Amino acid sequence: MRILLLEDDRQLGPWVTGGLRAEGHVVDHFTDGKEALLAAMGQDYDLLILDRMVPGLEGLSVLKSLRASKNTTPALFLTALGEVDSRVEGFEAGGDDYLTKPFAFVELSARVNALGRRREGAAAENSEPTVLRHGDLSLDLLSRRCARQGQPIDLMAKEFKLLEYFMRRPGRLVTRTMLLEQVWDMSFDPTTSVVETHISRLRAKIDKPFDDDLIRTRRGEGYVFGR
Amino acid sequence: MFLAGRLAEQVRWLFRSSTLRLTLLLSCLFALGMAVAIVLALTFGREAVLNRVDTTLAGLAASVEAEDSSDDTFSVIIRPLYALHDLPAEFVRAARNGGGTVRLETEYRRSEDWRVLIARDEDGEAVLIAAPLDDSEDALDLLGGVLWTTAGLVLAVALAIGLAAGLWTQRRMNRIHGTLNRLAAGDLKARTGIGRSADDLDHLARQLDTTASRLERLVAQTRHLSASLAHDLRTPLARLRARLEMLPDGEERGAALEEAGRLSDIFDTIMRVARIEAGHGQDGFEPVDLGALLADLQDIFGPVIEDGGKHLTVSRASAETVTADRQMLMQAMANLIQNALVHGGPDITLFAHGRGIGVADNGDGVDPVRYDDIIKPMVRLDPARERDGTGLGLALVRAVADRHDAELILSENTPHGLRVTLKFTDL
Repeated sequence: MRILLLEDDRQLGPWVTGGLRAEGHVVDHFTDGKEALLAAMGQDYDLLILDRMVPGLEGLSVLKSLRASKNTTPALFLTALGEVDSRVEGFEAGGDDYLTKPFAFVELSARVNALGRRREGAAAENSEPTVLRHGDLSLDLLSRRCARQGQPIDLMAKEFKLLEYFMRRPGRLVTRTMLLEQVWDMSFDPTTSVVETHISRLRAKIDKPFDDDLIRTRRGEGYVFGR
Repeated sequence: MFLAGRLAEQVRWLFRSSTLRLTLLLSCLFALGMAVAIVLALTFGREAVLNRVDTTLAGLAASVEAEDSSDDTFSVIIRPLYALHDLPAEFVRAARNGGGTVRLETEYRRSEDWRVLIARDEDGEAVLIAAPLDDSEDALDLLGGVLWTTAGLVLAVALAIGLAAGLWTQRRMNRIHGTLNRLAAGDLKARTGIGRSADDLDHLARQLDTTASRLERLVAQTRHLSASLAHDLRTPLARLRARLEMLPDGEERGAALEEAGRLSDIFDTIMRVARIEAGHGQDGFEPVDLGALLADLQDIFGPVIEDGGKHLTVSRASAETVTADRQMLMQAMANLIQNALVHGGPDITLFAHGRGIGVADNGDGVDPVRYDDIIKPMVRLDPARERDGTGLGLALVRAVADRHDAELILSENTPHGLRVTLKFTDL
């Protein structure tokens, strides 16, 4: 993907640029809002990543100007202003996603890929499989059945949703924040070990009896599903 | 029916005006005073008139020698007591009583009211002398009429002025009320805009406007400050996270990332509490069924409580629907559950009773004198800070309660433990 990055921080900018390039994206990095706006108007990008507080023109205004000129490039706000009304402001200005600093790079990467897929269109949606498979584990989304090595596994509703989320992202790092937002619809940290508990219950059902761990913990970062 | 109801409402609204009430009170006092004064004046006036008539009649009687009806003049009747047979019966009765005022059913010699007196004539003979009272009665009636009319007019004008003043004041009060309500609901741009005449109400309104302006400025400053603070703190946190992620995999990296995560969680919570406290109005509020919310909480936190080795009880009794920010309410309940997990005993109860929702535990509880302390930010009861927690949990719950105008009630659980209830006010 061709990505425009507007980020004035001298450490974060190069870090994000480097990470995205390592994943095969083409990145144009700007530190000034006005320059970023000019570039976005002159060239065709697949995605805009905008910091809210930057010199020149702030990210919100950049996007507002672009949307006013009928530019529909997906945009992700990357910002230190994390409160709910700031988020709402971002979405109202035409933003498609909002990520609060500090963030794990995988989280940014996951959101970037999600926005990229959205742009590719709904064509993929029709061909979406109704049964997810990973090795000897299968998850039937229609009949809500799960089985490993042919043995049926009884899952609670939340465990099912959790496993589905993991199976759609095999081999990729999934953070606690991502799980809270996507599986539990919580935009806050519940302080209690909600994620840990449900994952440990899920493991007890799909991993323990088979002596082969599919869900692995990456300390301080999150979880990875699959080998 | 509807109109009558509206009218009654309008009248009640108008009667709240202190100006109108004062006018009514003063008008009543004035009317009472005037009535007493007029009645007294007319009574004493009549006495004086009768005294003068009596004196004149006695003098007149003493100057004639009464024989029979031939001594009557056009307006005065004078005759000896044995020659009363042609006079109306009332005169005879008055003569027997020693004189007085006589009121006739029909006119006698063109008059109905007569003053009758028993006096002595020139010879010292007892005679009846009577004169009509019509002229003096008319004068008194006229005086009374003038007095009553004047008093009535003054009263009517006073009432009209009072009503108008009441209406005017009440209108202005209404604008002040409206402005206060809008301010309370979070519209910090609300102003009364009153201030043409320089009376006490205008003064009050102007003061209110000044206060509102100051409040608006302060809130804007706080917002700006918290935005700057968030930026200045989150950026270095993001850099720290970026640097840690670049380290090679290993135990140390994981531990450092965990600590960095905890740091940003604490900061998030502080910002959230500040944000909720600074918030206004009901943006993002929706009807929340407390019973359904309890079921969701059980779904999410039940396994956590069970895996923590504790027993969960859910108690629901006629749970109602309240207007609330669902996420905020969930967060408050999550914090209460976390508190119960860390500080409570082996049993945890989630309850929704009527318009109240909360968490109870059967731990050691908290000394009631410390209830006020533990809802302050950063206050922790174990001084060594050995147990998990930031001391922000209950502060956030309190902020959420305040935001919803709900009451945060801490009480003792029976037989022991702490019971925390978020009680929503009745609609």
